[in-house]
Amino acid sequence: MNDSSAPAPAILQPASDTPNLQIRFKSEGGRLLLLLPPEAEVNSANHGSVSKNDANQDGSNPDSAISSSNPAGNGANPSNWNELWQQLKQRLNAGERFWQPETAVHLIARDRLLDVRQLQAIADALAEVQLQLKRVYTSRRQTAVAAATTGYSVEQHSPVAHLNQPTEAGQSLADPLYVQTVVRSGVEIRHPGTIIVLGDVNPGGSVIADGDVLVWGCLRGLAQAGAAGNGQCLIMALRMEPTQIRIAEFVARAPETPPEQFPPEIAYVSSGGIRIARAADFSRMRLS
Amino acid sequence: MSRIIVITSGKGGVGKTTCTANLGMALAQRGHKVAVVDADFGLRNLDLLLGLENRIVYTAVEVLAGECRLDQALVKDKRQPNLALLPAAQNRTKDAVNPDQMKQLVNSLTDTYRYILVDSPAGIEMGFQNATAAAKEAIIVTTPEIAAVRDADRVIGLLEANDIKKVHLIVNRLRPAMVQEDMMMSVKDVQEILAVPLLGVIPDDERVIVSTNRGEPLVLSQNISMAGLAFNNIARRLEGEKVPFLDLMAAHDDLFTRIRRLFRNSPRH
Repeated sequence: MNDSSAPAPAILQPASDTPNLQIRFKSEGGRLLLLLPPEAEVNSANHGSVSKNDANQDGSNPDSAISSSNPAGNGANPSNWNELWQQLKQRLNAGERFWQPETAVHLIARDRLLDVRQLQAIADALAEVQLQLKRVYTSRRQTAVAAATTGYSVEQHSPVAHLNQPTEAGQSLADPLYVQTVVRSGVEIRHPGTIIVLGDVNPGGSVIADGDVLVWGCLRGLAQAGAAGNGQCLIMALRMEPTQIRIAEFVARAPETPPEQFPPEIAYVSSGGIRIARAADFSRMRLS
Repeated sequence: MSRIIVITSGKGGVGKTTCTANLGMALAQRGHKVAVVDADFGLRNLDLLLGLENRIVYTAVEVLAGECRLDQALVKDKRQPNLALLPAAQNRTKDAVNPDQMKQLVNSLTDTYRYILVDSPAGIEMGFQNATAAAKEAIIVTTPEIAAVRDADRVIGLLEANDIKKVHLIVNRLRPAMVQEDMMMSVKDVQEILAVPLLGVIPDDERVIVSTNRGEPLVLSQNISMAGLAFNNIARRLEGEKVPFLDLMAAHDDLFTRIRRLFRNSPRH
């Protein structure tokens, strides 16, 4: 698999890049923080209606549905909410083994607009895996009111820079993300750290990490390691049959004729391209 | 306790409507009260496959608008009194209904019907969301082809995200001869990607075309085909019975084919 090139800059999109940010769970002091991605930067027309809503409405909006048919009731762009919801359900389904029952969750909503229905949906989804939403941190008045209406303690603050992840040089990687799930077609998992998947990555699915990617299963989809530019990152899989693998700015695709056997393999960058070694040989190579 | 099952696929033309019609009929023949709901507004086909097109007076749209009662819209099957069809509107589009309305409609059927099969349209947009709104279980229909399996995988991800955890698989239009020659994905290949329990395998059969044109589901024919048998078995599995899978490969597994296979490179997906 020596096919590689230095492609357009679009390939390099650190998982900590704001527009593509996904929801994240983070452990802090015995609590679980649920960080939501900031409100997407949509066109000014949308922004206009967002602020108008904020001024007029006061919390609950019975019309906004959780499904896609979302009349312009709340400010949040409907497709944004849908995507957020799917990510949340996906991550919750994939991490059940590791949470202690009744762990408290603090929702870091940042500048997202959420109404009563959506907050309740989030709380219900968390409750299904025995997590309890306890507190909501937000910088939007409407969200704060909705949270208070739904009965959660709220902390409203002015948009604080440090809650939006700064992409400065030298930022350390987040804790590894461990998901136990099949990454199905159309699902994208991004994380500003290493990603470990216990399960397969199906064709059409993608796993994009600022750190390494470990697939304890079949990698049949797309994996990118070192998404922020670190060419030393690795992609490891029990069965390496990807559509495409990327490390930092390098891209490689599977050979035309598939190999006879599929032992566990590790992909790494060397001499200006992506190489693949058998996992058994890899550490020996590295040390010599 | 009613069972609300959505029959979906992502890809079009893989056999969702055929499966809905035949499964509905098979379950009805086994004594259950079954309602089949056509959620394909604008491109309805379920009524054609059941041969009930001429009997449609009201559709789901009129029920939702309050212009008629639900029982007035339900078309009772002419051959099998246990089966009823809730038709979709042909003169509207997928946006004629929204998920909340579908949920309300389907839930109002649970009083009378033990099985409610919802025939989903192709795609993952409003039509799909409408069809899955009230469902608690799903049957994914796919053909053993790379495009259909890819789409099915996408749909399974969406179903899981929408809390429909009971998902089963039907592999439709299998051609055992081609599988034997390694020219078509096998059921095992499909299962490896989709990773959901297998409900049944239906062989490709010309008689499906005839049965569609006549409006007579395969399971009703006197001289039942392999496909019809497969549908009956699926109905029994839905009821909870453990039915062994039909051996579709038997007719194609002879010495000559095996030797041919030895000398060929397997062109996999």
